[in-house]
Amino acid sequence: MSSNHAKVAVGASKDSSFLGGRIPSEIEIMAKQLKDLDQEMFRKILKAVVSAIEGKDCREAMKAIAENAAVPEERLSYVVAGMYRLLKEALRIPTSSLKQEVKNWLLIPEEFITDFASVVFGNRRTALEAVATQQGPRLPSLKDFRWRVDVAISTSSLARALQPSILMQMKLSDGKAHRFEVPVSKFQELRYNVALILKEMNDLEKRSVLNIQD
Amino acid sequence: MAAIITETQSIKEAVTSINTIELNKFSRLLSRILQKLHLKEERTFSEEEEQKLQSALSLDKQDLSLVLDTTAFILEQAVYHNVKPASLKQQLEKIHLSPEKAEAFCQAWTAVCPDVVEKVRQRIFAPKKLEHVGWQLNLQMAKSTQAKLKDPHAVLELGVRNEDSQSVVEKVFVEFSHQELLQFYNQLETVQAQLDSLT
Repeated sequence: MSSNHAKVAVGASKDSSFLGGRIPSEIEIMAKQLKDLDQEMFRKILKAVVSAIEGKDCREAMKAIAENAAVPEERLSYVVAGMYRLLKEALRIPTSSLKQEVKNWLLIPEEFITDFASVVFGNRRTALEAVATQQGPRLPSLKDFRWRVDVAISTSSLARALQPSILMQMKLSDGKAHRFEVPVSKFQELRYNVALILKEMNDLEKRSVLNIQD
Repeated sequence: MAAIITETQSIKEAVTSINTIELNKFSRLLSRILQKLHLKEERTFSEEEEQKLQSALSLDKQDLSLVLDTTAFILEQAVYHNVKPASLKQQLEKIHLSPEKAEAFCQAWTAVCPDVVEKVRQRIFAPKKLEHVGWQLNLQMAKSTQAKLKDPHAVLELGVRNEDSQSVVEKVFVEFSHQELLQFYNQLETVQAQLDSLT
């Protein structure tokens, strides 16, 4: 029942659990197309797909590959789609939960599994994960923060004022800039609140809630 | 001490009108004006209150507004130069305000002087002012691009009020990861160090 042959069958393998209950069609089709694909060609395509995941512009590379008449365009598109999907899904899950046993991944021919595995488990992984952290829905974050402390010496209502105040300028990641003045008392409140949040974050990171084993 | 009030024609007229007002009514008037002195753009008395005042003090509309404006002016000047009560009394007597009224000014001023000066000092000239700070601490469990996270994230809500729109507060939301928040805090600490070096 658990002969090597059966393990490679669709859906029966335990190791394909990271793809969910049903294997996405792109991956199935890709697996078929990978048969008798040249190793060299495969490596080129893989490289292009990985740089696409990293967010780089890979149109040049793809064009170069497409122009190489050895692979018909339709086949190429299946392979690229399948690779992209497979890698995205694999990268989504932290390495600790992804099983190291990838030898029997689906129906992918053996020679290509090592290449896939090197992407998913190799040192490029951290770079790819960093990109994934930046993407995804986020409220605007602080891109640039500038400040200035002023002391008002005299105003139209007070000859000798000598009142300090703070001017802040925040540039957010969505492009908006906010410039506003902060009275000293409000500044203290802001500082206190930020310190409080940091303390709570530290407590959170120590608590056993975070020791949930995946 | 330089004179804070010069005796112009309108001042003379105002003083004449003020001297006719009953003392205790005038004292109450004074304290009411002092209360609202630090707020700009706000009329001390509403329309109907002014009507009532007209009949109560037996002054016509023009004289009443002159009295109110002059009293407010005297007090604003007192705030500007931060005069001592004794000095204020002297100056008021110079412009021929009756001694009892001058005394009333003096007493009212002594009572509220430091508060009013402090409030005026705190007023800031800026198109936008930070009014409110709120926050939320979240633990991110997963995203569409990453599963099985345990990422603490904070969202800071800054309520910024525009100088001209009294009621509208613009809310600015900024999200921070732990690292980003730590950086922000270090910058705030630098600002604090600068503030401390001033005193």
